[in-house]
Amino acid sequence: MGSATAVLRVPTGKYFINVVKERCKECGLCVFVCPTKVLDKGSERNSRGYRFAVPVRPEKCIGCRMCEYSCPDFAIFIEVGGG
Amino acid sequence: MAVAHPLDRYLRTDRLPTMWCPGCGLGILLGCILRALDRRIREGSLRRENVGFAGGIGCSARMTLYPYFDSAHVIHGRAIPFALGVKIVKPEMKMIVVGGDGDIAAIGGNHILHAIRRNADLVVIMANNMIYGMTGGQQAPTTPRGLYTTTTPYGNPEREINIVKLAAALGANYVARGSVTHTPLLEQMIYKALGKRGLAFVEVLSTCPELFGRHIGFRSPVDLYSELRKRVVVKTRPSVEESDYSWERGFVIGEFVDRDEPGFIEVLQEYTSRARGGAG
Repeated sequence: MGSATAVLRVPTGKYFINVVKERCKECGLCVFVCPTKVLDKGSERNSRGYRFAVPVRPEKCIGCRMCEYSCPDFAIFIEVGGG
Repeated sequence: MAVAHPLDRYLRTDRLPTMWCPGCGLGILLGCILRALDRRIREGSLRRENVGFAGGIGCSARMTLYPYFDSAHVIHGRAIPFALGVKIVKPEMKMIVVGGDGDIAAIGGNHILHAIRRNADLVVIMANNMIYGMTGGQQAPTTPRGLYTTTTPYGNPEREINIVKLAAALGANYVARGSVTHTPLLEQMIYKALGKRGLAFVEVLSTCPELFGRHIGFRSPVDLYSELRKRVVVKTRPSVEESDYSWERGFVIGEFVDRDEPGFIEVLQEYTSRARGGAG
């Protein structure tokens, strides 16, 4: 059951970008809404075959949470801290 | 089960991932509802055990399966009478009715009419994806004129229903239209709706990339989402006359009606006590 909530946690300096790998359905909305283009579709796949989003430019994250608010599957969230 | 997402404590996480297609706007709406509830529960204006969900049939009504609150999944279009029944028996409950445009504006159209007429103390959230999504993308009363659906291959010849005008005309206490492309605004509308007495109606423009977007040339979730975002017009305190609902002229979102008249339960209790007093 632990793997169902396995989180890819990437520090950005001021924030942590967290992606719940197994929940991502590769819709691409987080990639689209991010104003600083932090995210992109990854190359790794989860158990359902979806290429979950990964932060490719984490240092650009401004912590606006648009990805978190626009994710239909509760798969991505931002935590403040790490700076 | 381990908690990952901050909203996981309001979710039945064993049922995730949701049954919705990738990029469906309903998940965004559910997130907004849960964040609004979270704010209400944290500030103490709502108790978690007093929140109930009711939904009919359809992808949108399936939303009642995911929040970790009391919830009921009832027959098609009949979520409003069910929720009102709960509310009459247990007035302390805050009943949230979620449904799609098919469930609330079409099949349950009569129930929404009379719930609004009574100013029933409910929060009604209607996710509007402009078609019947679950059954294969047929034309719905909310389909904008001229658009292709699986049952209107030459374009939809019918006029669309503007549910905001309907709700305002019948006297709902709160009428707003939001969009899943404008999440902080939508969250604020739902937060406000949760604090109203009487009927609070929130129409939510949503996306169905699989059965609506695909047929009109916006195949990917991002294409349809960005297209809807372009066609949404945000207005501050718009009048009901300004509530345009059209694919060409755009969809006006905002808070159209905000008044504070006594809700049905209050009036009912007054009449009940009067009747009891008369008998004794």
